[in-house]
Order: sequence, then structure tokens, then C-alpha cells
Amino acid sequence: MRIQTGARTDLGRVRKNNEDCFQMEPSLQLFVLSDGMGGEAHGEVASNLAVQTVITHCQQSENSRTTPIFGEAQPDVSERTNRLASAIHLANKKVFEMAAANPAQKGMGATIVAAWVEGQRLSVAHVGDSRVYLLRAGTLDQLTADHSLVAEKVRIGIMTPQEADASEMQSVLTRAVGTTAAVQVDSTEQMLLVGDTLLLCSDGLTRMVTDPEIASTLLTSTAAQEAADRLIELANDYGGVDNVSAIVLRVTQKSDGVLDRLKVWKRNSG
Amino acid sequence: MGTRPVTIGRAPDNDIPIDNLAVSNYHARVYLEAGSLVVEDLNSLNGLFLNDIRVERAMLKDGDAILIGKHHILVDQAHDAALPVDGWRKPPVPRVNETMVLDTHERRKLLEMAAAAGERSQLSPERLRVPTLTVLQGRTDQKEYRISGKLTVIGHSKLATVRLRGWFTPDIAAQINKHEDGYYLGCGDRVPKINGIAIGGLTKLNDGDLIEVGRVRLNFLYRE
Repeated sequence: MRIQTGARTDLGRVRKNNEDCFQMEPSLQLFVLSDGMGGEAHGEVASNLAVQTVITHCQQSENSRTTPIFGEAQPDVSERTNRLASAIHLANKKVFEMAAANPAQKGMGATIVAAWVEGQRLSVAHVGDSRVYLLRAGTLDQLTADHSLVAEKVRIGIMTPQEADASEMQSVLTRAVGTTAAVQVDSTEQMLLVGDTLLLCSDGLTRMVTDPEIASTLLTSTAAQEAADRLIELANDYGGVDNVSAIVLRVTQKSDGVLDRLKVWKRNSG
Repeated sequence: MGTRPVTIGRAPDNDIPIDNLAVSNYHARVYLEAGSLVVEDLNSLNGLFLNDIRVERAMLKDGDAILIGKHHILVDQAHDAALPVDGWRKPPVPRVNETMVLDTHERRKLLEMAAAAGERSQLSPERLRVPTLTVLQGRTDQKEYRISGKLTVIGHSKLATVRLRGWFTPDIAAQINKHEDGYYLGCGDRVPKINGIAIGGLTKLNDGDLIEVGRVRLNFLYRE
């Protein structure tokens, strides 16, 4: 299976600097996106450091089996997924230490979401309110659970999704990379299929654009880059109140044989 | 109609949700283009009909009838100014606050609330039970499976927990994911059914649910 990629980050229409940051590492099939916070230019520093750390740690672990594991490995996910979570634990440590060493950067932090593909298996790990979506068989599912105050309240059942959408508290995170000495990282796994589309994005997209609009944009775009561009444009058309970033990944077959196209067609037609 | 597209489909997050199995999850959308209303099929299974003719994409005029599944949607351009239907819009985004992290005291309060909610859920320690899949029908490598990982694959693949046999069985037919609040069934190369109804995206499994994947029937049970 092959992955077609498209990605874009944009300032939006209101903010003066872009604290979002992403990196794609096609040789590793590793994709990382981060939304920084902390005012001045510190948010950018935090998100860049977090993304770089994740990429470097994963790269090192590929080259050397003895690369140490950071954080506690979970028994219910694969070694690969634990490695990705370990990279985020290390990113947390690095951002936290940098902020501690530099009083001007106190309180800086970032969200992070990372997707790593090995064969058919997708590993996802995240902290904060940046998201991963999977579009399969015409249905859009959010694979990550936001670590935001309103999302956690919805999950506990003390707030409705409608109240959450209208809340003034949407910018309050319950977890972030770099704001505490240790952080809890969530991870999950999926088996990918030809025809799947993955979306990694910052809250600048999901606060402006509804899930059905995201689904219809992904469904009606031919190339991954076109989908990413159109999503960013939509967020900006609706006001672009925040930085906005999107990575779109299309899972295609190397040969694109008739049988595979038939399979995708059959799945999409229910 | 406002300036945003209106989506129509079976998924509840559509602007116009239609709860009918003949309707695809995201079936069609209507949007404004150069001052005209346009309707577009989003690759739906059963298609989109305009005045009884199947269309992929078509411009709409006053009095047109769109047929989706067994539902007719009428285009009424005479009243457009009088009926501002903006219900599908996201509410105005609150003032942009700088992102911040919850302080320690607030976080503790939230965790206490979460713990209280957890006691009522299926995953609470008091009710710690093992989720299992019991095979009722079909060719599999075992008769019963315990679910332990975050990802449980049902299919022909060597990576599958529930290994299906048979020539044309897909490698990944369906999968089950463990979430904070329980187990969710998702599509693979097949759209599985829960209690006879095809799922539309990740769907939470309840104790006793009957899962159908192709010709295989499984019973999802929490065991003591």
C-alpha cells in the first residue's frame, strides 16, 4: 500500500503569527502536527521542538533497538505504538525543560498528534485537542479524544456537544506537551485499507468547519493536496480565527489493480 | 440557505439528517454557486434524483423536487428571504482566547467528576468484566475470543485476533477499538451489522450485542 500526502498550514485571518507546525517523514511513513501556545513567539518554539523531537526519536529507534523508552509502555498496544507514545513523552520533557531554563518561556506548551504507518498498521498518539480523523466507507470517524475541558465534560456527561460548541472555554486544555514535568499520552491503533483517507488537523480547522463539511470536502477532492488546500480555505472563509493546519493522507494501492478498485467500490457502496 | 453548504445524509451530524437505511451517511449536499443552488451526490449508494431523473450534480430551480431514499426535498426559492434557516451553522465562535492549560485545582475537580462518572460505566473496577466474542455461526479458528488489546481485528489476516476462514474472506473484515468508555465496532472491508442494522461509522458495543460480519455471527458479551 502507498500513501499519497497533502498538507498545508496557514496563519488564518486574525492571528499575527503561526504557532502551528507539521512535518511529514515519508521514508518513515511518520506524520506529526502540533499547535503551540504561550504568546509572543514561544508557541512556535514549543510546537517546533515537539515535532522535531518526535521525528528524531522515532528515526533513532528505527536505527537502534537500544533507544530508551520514555514514559510507561502500555500492554494493550503494539511496540510501534508504544514507541510513538515514548516520542511524545520525550517531547514533553524537552519542552518542559526548555521552558524551565528560560523564564520568558514559562508556560509555553503545545498540542501534538502523530500518525505512524507500518505495513497496514496505523499507530496514533496524541496530547491536546489536535485531531486524527479516518474517512472509510463514506463515514468520518474521529480517532482521537480531545484533551480539552469541554470535550472531557461532554464525555463525562455533564455538558452537551451543543453547549461545548458554544462555550467560551473551548481554548482550555486538560493536557498539553511541555506544561508539566510528565504528561499522559493517549494512543490507539487501526488497520488501514486501500481507499482510506486520514486527516490530522489543528483546532483552527475543527472550530470553524463542521464534520460533515470535512467529510464532503475529503470525498469530493481528487488529490490529497487539493483536499488539504480546500479545508484551509474553508476555515479561512468562515473567519479563520486561529492558525489552521491539515495533513491529508490517502491510502492507495501501488499497482491500482482492478480487484482493489472493485473492493473499494464495494465497500463504499455499503 | 446561507453561504455554507448543507449536507444531507444518515449520519446524525448532517445538517439534514435522514434516519433511513436507503440513505448513505453523507449522501448529498446543496450549496450556492454563483448565486444558484446546486445539488451534488456525494458518491451515495442509492443515488440522487432530481424530478425523478438520477443526477450527479445539478442546478436547482424553484419547484424542483430532490429525492433521497424515500424522502422528497422541495426547492422553494420564493420564500428564501423570509426563511433564514441558519440552524446548521456552527454557533459564532467565541472570542479567541489564548489557549491555556487547566490549573491543578480545576483538573483535580474534573478528575473527581470523571471518576464518579466512571463508577457508572461498564469499565469500572467494581464491574470489571472481560469482554468476549462468542462465535454463533461461521468459520473461525476458535469458538470464543477474549478481547484484550486496543485493536481487535476480525478477518482473514494473520494479524487478526478473530481469524475468519474461507476463500474470499477479506484480510480485514471489521475491527473493534477499545476507547475510554467501552468498545467500538468499525468497518473494515465489510460494513458489519449490530443487531441486524448496518453500522454507520464507529459504534459502541453493548453487552449482548449480535455482530454480523459477512456470514459470521458473533455475540459480544462481558463475562465475569
